[in-house]
Amino acid sequence: MRKILLFITLVLLLASTWMALTKGRIEGPSANPCSPVRNIIYAHVPSSICSLACFTVLLVTAIGYLATGNESWDHVAAATAEVGLIFATVLNATGMIFSRAEWGPWWTASPRLISSAILWFLYVVYLILRSSLPGSKQRRARVCAVFAIIAFLDVPMVYISARYMQDIHQPSFTFDNPWQRGAFFMGMVSTMLLAAMLIWIKTDVLKIKSRLEAE
Amino acid sequence: MNDMVINVKSVSKAFDTRNVLRDIAIDIDTGQAVLICGINGAGKTTLLRIIAGLLQPDIGSVKLCGYNIQKDPEKAKSQFGMISHKSMVYPELTVLENLSFFATLYGVKDSETHITELLQDVGLSSYKYDTASILSRGLLQRLAIARALVHRPALLLADEPFTGLDAKACHHLITVLKEFTKNDGTIVMTTHDIDIGLQCCNRVVVLDKSNLIFDAKTGDIDKERFLKDYISYARSET
Amino acid sequence: MRYFWLSLKAIFIKDIVTELRAKQVLPTMIVLGMLIVWVLRMASEAVLQSEAVIGPVALWIAFLFAGLLAQERSFATEQRQDCIYALLLAPVDEGTIYLAKLFVNVVLLCIFEIIIVPVVIVAFRLNINNWPALIGVLLLGNIAISSVGTLFSAIVQLSRARGALLSILVLVILMPMMIPATFALLLVFGAIPPEMTGTGALAFVGTFGSAVGFMIAFDAVFVVACWLLFGFAIKE
Repeated sequence: MRKILLFITLVLLLASTWMALTKGRIEGPSANPCSPVRNIIYAHVPSSICSLACFTVLLVTAIGYLATGNESWDHVAAATAEVGLIFATVLNATGMIFSRAEWGPWWTASPRLISSAILWFLYVVYLILRSSLPGSKQRRARVCAVFAIIAFLDVPMVYISARYMQDIHQPSFTFDNPWQRGAFFMGMVSTMLLAAMLIWIKTDVLKIKSRLEAE
Repeated sequence: MNDMVINVKSVSKAFDTRNVLRDIAIDIDTGQAVLICGINGAGKTTLLRIIAGLLQPDIGSVKLCGYNIQKDPEKAKSQFGMISHKSMVYPELTVLENLSFFATLYGVKDSETHITELLQDVGLSSYKYDTASILSRGLLQRLAIARALVHRPALLLADEPFTGLDAKACHHLITVLKEFTKNDGTIVMTTHDIDIGLQCCNRVVVLDKSNLIFDAKTGDIDKERFLKDYISYARSET
Repeated sequence: MRYFWLSLKAIFIKDIVTELRAKQVLPTMIVLGMLIVWVLRMASEAVLQSEAVIGPVALWIAFLFAGLLAQERSFATEQRQDCIYALLLAPVDEGTIYLAKLFVNVVLLCIFEIIIVPVVIVAFRLNINNWPALIGVLLLGNIAISSVGTLFSAIVQLSRARGALLSILVLVILMPMMIPATFALLLVFGAIPPEMTGTGALAFVGTFGSAVGFMIAFDAVFVVACWLLFGFAIKE
């Protein structure tokens, strides 16, 4: 079951990449018309959606753990935070490459750039907190759930407060042809699937690890 | 009138993956002074902390004077006082300030007269206005007892209360504890010093590797023999 | 209800008295704040006409770090002699402990502010047009810093690198608050001309009112959330 899903995910990823690089190539107006950098949105936008979705999953696991005390919630939380960090890193890295090519600076204070950076920091701090708490596993899981909830409340705050900065980010993007739209849609679906698969696998790894420690 | 003070029902607790308590059940009646003994890591302190509500059991329930410590914590908490080898008082505050602070938290009505009485009982009257930091270990333990009894509990939990006390202070503590049981108070105590513990307790419980293996009234057993057996058992285990 | 106020007051007074007798953090906080202000004052010499801009920044940085010292102390004092157990054993609601500790941290930061704000005003030659606005913004920032700090102080109490862990937890959550807070102070100190507000002056967009509104919302959300979650954080 998992192998099949993983296979489908990879096929979709490859297909969307192929479409993005051939028929779906974006050649629109840009500071440097020959530069292929605009195609980065095929990786950038899905990662941003995934990193936010992971945060929502993290919130659900946190509430689940605090309500039930079941250790499985904590495994999912740990896996989700790690996967979320991967996508947040991709989000910021692709964003910075785009910024450098299109606008000049690697980074500038603009609402979405600030929000993405803080999102990345929230994941990193969450993982540091996980690894540096002494005491029993139950306490660690409880404390991390508390931090995850506070961090989740911080996300809308970040999005609102970042609006006090001037925006240079492109608010939306229009596609010219169905190939582009198809590539984008497939990229979105396959990235979401990939995130889900990664969380699933990592959760199992953590479960096996904790069972091995028990013996 | 229910004279069962503590009712521990099939309590199990694991830290991470290590079982610390396995299916412990114990009932304690009014006026009993129970000594919980066992070697290091047998789960004595964990059991006491679960009774006090500081830790949650994985399975099972604890009732104090009929109140469930998890479900009805505020009522259950006012039923008991606790002392340990740490004093649990603030070193910067004076003896009087410490006691009136805790009296307020427990909602004691006539705190002033009650605190004066308490200080007389434990022999700290002359140190009333001294900060806790200048008290010696023995005097600090007297203050800790006064703190634990500030809300007139029916039950006293004591976690290694004799650690770090000299012979005189130990003797004083034993007298206070005996006085407490004489007035229908109930005590649950853990200690390494089983010899001293036996002097003020009338029931002994032995925990071994997270199981309850021995439970008897001191009146029913030969104290000398029990002491001898226990010491040889403890040596063989460590 | 009466019991709630009595126990809140008792814990609050106990903490203030303990701090005044032991003088654990207040002097350190003030000296740290002054040093931060002084270092940034030196740095601002390098840039022309930057005093009014760096002043508010200096104030917030001094605030954040002094606040961290106060918060770390919050539960460190309870750790000695296991006093934290005595508090947990008493029939007090955990939320009450949180609120009392929050008030203590807010008051400690207020005392700190009373000393540091004049220092910043003198060092950076700032003009205040509107004292109530300044006090309001500082108080809102103060509550925001203390609200998450008090909760996280309970979280990190058993860790070895307590201070370091506390600082990253608090700073990452407070990051969004810092944008409108800095913006509001820039307006109060007149670093941005009033006619330019709302137009995107200095890369900031918005009005003073909306920035203060954001801070009020931030305080409300996090005080309530931390108050509700505190019980989970403090238990062993």
